[in-house]
Amino acid sequence: MVDTKQFASEPKKELLGVDGALQLNSVLMKRYRITGVLGVGGMGSVYQARDLQFPSAERFVAVKEMLNLSQDPNLRSISLKNFEREANLLAALSHPAIPTIHDYFTHKDRAYLVMEYINGKDLETILNTVTEPIPIDMVLKWSIDLCDVLSYLHSHDPIIIFRDMKPANIMIDNHGRLRLIDFGIARTFQSGEKGTMIGTEGYSAPEQYKGMAAPQSDIFGFGATLHHILTGHDPRLEPPFTFADRPIREANPLVPPQLEAIVMKALAFDPDQRFQSIAEIKPILESILRGGAPAVTLPMEGITLDEPDEWGQQETSIDTRWKFKVEEEIRSSPAYYSGVVFVGSYDTNLWAINAENGQLRWKFPTDGGIGTTPAISPQEQVVVIGSDDYNLYAIDIRSGRVNWKMTAHGPVRSSPTIKHGHVFVGSDDGNLYALRINTGRSAWKYDAGVPIRCSPLVTDDLIIFGTESGDVYGLDLSGQLKWRFKTKRSVMSMPVIHGGLVFFGSFDYHMYAVDIKNGWSVWRFRTGKPIISSPIVVDELVIFGSADGYVYALDIGSGRERWKFETGNQVISSPVYSDGAIYIGGVDGKVYSIDIRKGRERWTYTTGGPVSGSPCVADGVVYIGSTDHHLYALKA
Amino acid sequence: MDLLRRILGLQPTGEQPVTPQETPETPSDPVVTSPGGAPTAPLDPQLEDLMASEGRTRQLPPLETVLTPSEGARLNYGQFSDVGQIRDNNQDSMLSMTLSMTGNDQDPNFGLFIVADGMGGHEDGEKASAMTTHVIAKYVTKDIFVPMLNGETGGDADRPTIIEVLRNAVQKANDVVAERVPDGGTTATAAAVMGNLAYIAHVGDSRAYIITADGIEQATRDHSLVQRLIELDQLTPEDAIDHPQRNVLYRAIGQSDNLDVDAITRHLPPASYLLICSDGLWNLVTKEELKQIVITHQDNTQSACEALVNLANERGGTDNITVVIIRVPGKK
Repeated sequence: MVDTKQFASEPKKELLGVDGALQLNSVLMKRYRITGVLGVGGMGSVYQARDLQFPSAERFVAVKEMLNLSQDPNLRSISLKNFEREANLLAALSHPAIPTIHDYFTHKDRAYLVMEYINGKDLETILNTVTEPIPIDMVLKWSIDLCDVLSYLHSHDPIIIFRDMKPANIMIDNHGRLRLIDFGIARTFQSGEKGTMIGTEGYSAPEQYKGMAAPQSDIFGFGATLHHILTGHDPRLEPPFTFADRPIREANPLVPPQLEAIVMKALAFDPDQRFQSIAEIKPILESILRGGAPAVTLPMEGITLDEPDEWGQQETSIDTRWKFKVEEEIRSSPAYYSGVVFVGSYDTNLWAINAENGQLRWKFPTDGGIGTTPAISPQEQVVVIGSDDYNLYAIDIRSGRVNWKMTAHGPVRSSPTIKHGHVFVGSDDGNLYALRINTGRSAWKYDAGVPIRCSPLVTDDLIIFGTESGDVYGLDLSGQLKWRFKTKRSVMSMPVIHGGLVFFGSFDYHMYAVDIKNGWSVWRFRTGKPIISSPIVVDELVIFGSADGYVYALDIGSGRERWKFETGNQVISSPVYSDGAIYIGGVDGKVYSIDIRKGRERWTYTTGGPVSGSPCVADGVVYIGSTDHHLYALKA
Repeated sequence: MDLLRRILGLQPTGEQPVTPQETPETPSDPVVTSPGGAPTAPLDPQLEDLMASEGRTRQLPPLETVLTPSEGARLNYGQFSDVGQIRDNNQDSMLSMTLSMTGNDQDPNFGLFIVADGMGGHEDGEKASAMTTHVIAKYVTKDIFVPMLNGETGGDADRPTIIEVLRNAVQKANDVVAERVPDGGTTATAAAVMGNLAYIAHVGDSRAYIITADGIEQATRDHSLVQRLIELDQLTPEDAIDHPQRNVLYRAIGQSDNLDVDAITRHLPPASYLLICSDGLWNLVTKEELKQIVITHQDNTQSACEALVNLANERGGTDNITVVIIRVPGKK
């Protein structure tokens, strides 16, 4: 069939790629004289050839050569039959965006397809050479052309799934027209198992990896191609199916939101969540191109990749159980014990309020404002609290009378921690005190030399706290220094421990994770402003607020961001976890309930002033104070 | 308020200055008042002793002599690598280094264990994997090992974190491989073990498992197409086993300039095991079998490695097989 003499015995250097590549000026079928190589691939090459049928006209064709790599003779013949069938199918297609098939033939282990030569560039080459984003109007026109040609294929009888939509398979000819090339016919000849290899197709739909292909698979490929064009990020260089991690309008703010929505809907993992036919997309694109509001309203459901859920309640539906007015701002956190909520206020009082109905049980006055959180000793039946009047008080839970007090040499702005029968508390006098919980007598103190406003973390064998100079100390239970870690600015955030690591925030904008045994830093994460908020660990996440206005959730092992939640102002408050959600206050005056899996708002409640204190949650009720002089009890 | 306090009998009486002898450098100490003679709850005697309250004068012993039974145990590990039954060259590389010391200081055991599975023809795979283990070991030595021998504890905000050191070490390996073996690539799973913490840096589809008597858990996530499909519920783990594209990685050393490295910290329970292996093992031996064989061999980690490699070879040995098993000191 093919004139074998025309084949090169020694392939020329410039025609490298596969063994037995055609030589320049060799003639196939006595008709196609090879004039150049258009592309070289693992399966064979694509040549430019001159059609000698028209000796007086310069008519060029593209000749695609495919090697039949099957070793098994049966498979080889099946491959060839498939090739002939597909070539016939392609030859019957007639669409301006599909190159015309002129001829096909086979010879030995090769098959050839002769088709219209397109003078132009493929889109991948274009994307690799441009430095500026491609103008949106041009992208829209191409997209409309793509819709046209895909609609043609999908409505063909039998239906044709293109299967390999990607920039490399799209050509823009010299007249600016879009042409679809490479109908994947080469895949007929692919066989054999490969070893470990790198790189994925990047544009294929998830179901195609299960060997399934439907019109929705081409819609996914259409979306992936547009995502690449609009963002400039090649999906083959990213983990598979991470398009949603690279928001289009973040990369290119000129992209209209409707266009982004179309692309993201086309990229849904589940084929049923995508557009059901490519024809649905075209009118939306046309209306965007015309400008103004789209004539077709885009169905928004299914555009987000998350499952629908019940989150996002209106504020009005948040049940305020009660609110209790104190005499000044509340900037600290309440504590709950046995039906009573204890909270300190800048009005100098420690207040004990019935959790059930918000009635005052007792109040205990100090001589200074209270900005610390009470600690409770169920064993001793005392609530312990520090005051700006230099005292730490242990107050009887029932009577509200002082059991003992310890006077420091400076204000006590560190919230006490009770453990091992002792109270641990810092003071502006620079000391960390260890006191017997039953008598208040000193076991030891550690002089850090600078104010300690951080609440100490006490584990089975260590006491960890930060200071205003930014040092974080690890002491053993006898008060001996085990290690010290220096941050750059003060540490007020109370450390938390999990799995051998200690986590704390600093005014130097960072959240740190250090090895509890030796204080070595394991990871750190930078936010945009100081961190005063104390972290919590839930579900392998470290969650905290920052003065940059966000609540962050980091992966505990790596310190990488899992989600962040934007509030209207600084976040000083520390999160509290209960039943799948965290609760946290904002300087924007709101109390937030945030779902911890996705970092999405469940509800918000607006108070009359900044909320810098943290909530406590008990029996499905969130207790939180505000600088509007109120303590609120909200249904979680 | 004062009046109220007086009426309620809250005015402090009988002040007793307490001077803790443990902190004699402080000239004046806080005043503690104890009006009510509050009831005293019994304390844990050991803690009581540790806290050295009221009137004790002696210097306390360091904590670990009281609480932590020091077994003096070192990190015990075994390692084995085999070409398998099909390939004629072994493209896997592994590297282990440990520091065990006994002394009166608190240095934890330290170990670094790396498995790299190279890919690429013309010995490129072997070169890429070996080079990677060397470069990672070099940077971990310089930035973790040496500072530790210098007795550095704690640190400051400017010092690179351990996670950063590990990530950087793997990225450096990426640079070196990209430059010297442009056609080669490799996976890398490197674990620095310090005390009861494992710091694991990982790229590709070699794996680290944490094994206890109760179970086995994969600590790393394969950077493979099929794993990604499984995570998206687009493929079942069963279908992944013989998926035609199960060997396709989307991330490996030597492939791109900006390598994203997974780096995680894991707590290792006492007497647990850390197992690192190439896909030549985990493709042929199930998780349950890994656990069973490791637990059965107990302290004999070397023979556990050999048993695992033998089992993979019995099942065809379709790829190079490499495994390192580390036993964490301590009692169950």
